[in-house]
Amino acid sequence: MIGDPLAEERLRRARAGDAFAFGELLAPVLDPGFRLAMTMLKDRNAAEDAVQEAALKSWRKLDRFRYGADLKPWFLAIVANECRTTRRSRWWQVIRSDEVEPQGQAAPLEGGWADSIDLNAALDQLPKHHLLTLTLYYHLDLPIEEVARVLGCSTGAARQRIHRALAALRPGMVWEVGR
Amino acid sequence: MTPQEDELRELRRALESRSAEVTPEFRVRLSSALAEGRPASNFLPALAAVAAVVLVFATVGVLLLARQARNEPPPGTATPTATPAPASIPGVLTKPPGRIQMPSSAELSAPSANVIWTLVDYRYLYRSTDRGATWNQRPVPAKFQYFSPNISFISDTEGWYSVSFEPNGDCATETISIWHTTDAGATWQPLGSNGIADAQCKQGLAIVDSTRGFLDAWDSNHAPLIYRSTDAGRTWIGSAPLPDPPGFKTRAGSVLRPGLVRAFGSVLLVSASSTSASVTQYVFRSTDGGATWAYATSAVQPDGNVTFVTAARWLKLIGPGQSTETTDAGFTWHRYASDYSQAAPVAANFDFADSTVGYGTVRGEIYRTVDGGLQWKTIHTPGT
Repeated sequence: MIGDPLAEERLRRARAGDAFAFGELLAPVLDPGFRLAMTMLKDRNAAEDAVQEAALKSWRKLDRFRYGADLKPWFLAIVANECRTTRRSRWWQVIRSDEVEPQGQAAPLEGGWADSIDLNAALDQLPKHHLLTLTLYYHLDLPIEEVARVLGCSTGAARQRIHRALAALRPGMVWEVGR
Repeated sequence: MTPQEDELRELRRALESRSAEVTPEFRVRLSSALAEGRPASNFLPALAAVAAVVLVFATVGVLLLARQARNEPPPGTATPTATPAPASIPGVLTKPPGRIQMPSSAELSAPSANVIWTLVDYRYLYRSTDRGATWNQRPVPAKFQYFSPNISFISDTEGWYSVSFEPNGDCATETISIWHTTDAGATWQPLGSNGIADAQCKQGLAIVDSTRGFLDAWDSNHAPLIYRSTDAGRTWIGSAPLPDPPGFKTRAGSVLRPGLVRAFGSVLLVSASSTSASVTQYVFRSTDGGATWAYATSAVQPDGNVTFVTAARWLKLIGPGQSTETTDAGFTWHRYASDYSQAAPVAANFDFADSTVGYGTVRGEIYRTVDGGLQWKTIHTPGT
């Protein structure tokens, strides 16, 4: 978006209430936002609701978005927050009580990750802030700077969070977070 | 590969398995939500939104339980299945914010001599019942779309509207959603895309009567095929791939792109354009309802699209002194003294309602002929 006159014109129009302009701004980040919501919520309907709500909120907050910034980490942060809200909701916990994971430390995995069923189960049990971190870095392939922006921390802290998330998933393993 | 790399690959795979892509239906739903206007930033609407979200989750939660047994067909293995017809939704009508600037796009659908529909600038649907003398804007399924829609109407009230989404820009996959109206757009029934595989780009929705419909699928690595419906777009079946015409070989990078299917009784015709052969226009014919297509002929003149006026009379309308005509289904072509004149950069499209009355575009400006294509007069393009 930096130095992109077309994007800045869209931003100006979207702030003025032009839905089409906001839709054009949103289009490139909609898919990563939805992927993030799906990995966090594991439910298409809930993910769609979360992304729609995030879209409306981001439009409402668009005045706080500064010209020249990258929309993706900003929008992903709103989606992530919306997913957290969803998971905290009473209805989510009632309806999905069979799937609500214990909030403590994930159970260590025996052996490697060759058995993806174990890995999927471990991801289900992983605290959601760890799952968010891993999704941003390993699924959406965001550079560490953008991961940091979504998480609202420094790049060093973002690296540490990735380390901690991996360690929670696989205790005892030494990881390199290189980018 | 180190153990860590192997495990990270497994992690990526596990995360990917939890993920999914956005559906076109959700994009439309989101478009509609955004079209309600920018939310206010004061406290009360926020409270209302929270309440609405709670209600939505309550509803969604109940629906989730009901839907858990539903099995989504895997991509690329689309098979028509019997599903209950979803309820219609009200159409929405959004006025253009100002005069639509030309050049623009104007897709045409002429179900009869007096009735002409047009979708201007990919968003604004208009109908005329007096050959384009006057126009009325009609509602569409959502207030605006991110992606190029198609229209196809069979009367002044009944028609279909499709919107497709191609995420990667390479036509490897594209999803499509189709809607149906019987009240000129006041309400739209979502038909989905039952039987249409994600593979290949989709274009050229052509509903030819109250039951039969066609839709092209093509990409740059495979032969195109044409989906057909015999239940007004509720379910679709793919044809056998179109055979390679003379001078064209399907291979990586080769593109054979079909146009709109036209029906003349039981005879179906479709033209296909190629960007990788000296002869760029081919015509295919089907006499088995669209299950299979056979190469019929080539139009040796490279410019312009073949427009089917009748089963035997076809035109290639380009510019004065350049247009050609065949009256024997492509066996012979001769010069045709039409006054139609194409102009770049917007591709022209034509739709003939019968053997004499037809409509065409020049850079989005709509023209009409009442003598089979010889003389064309401009009519006002609505919204411009």
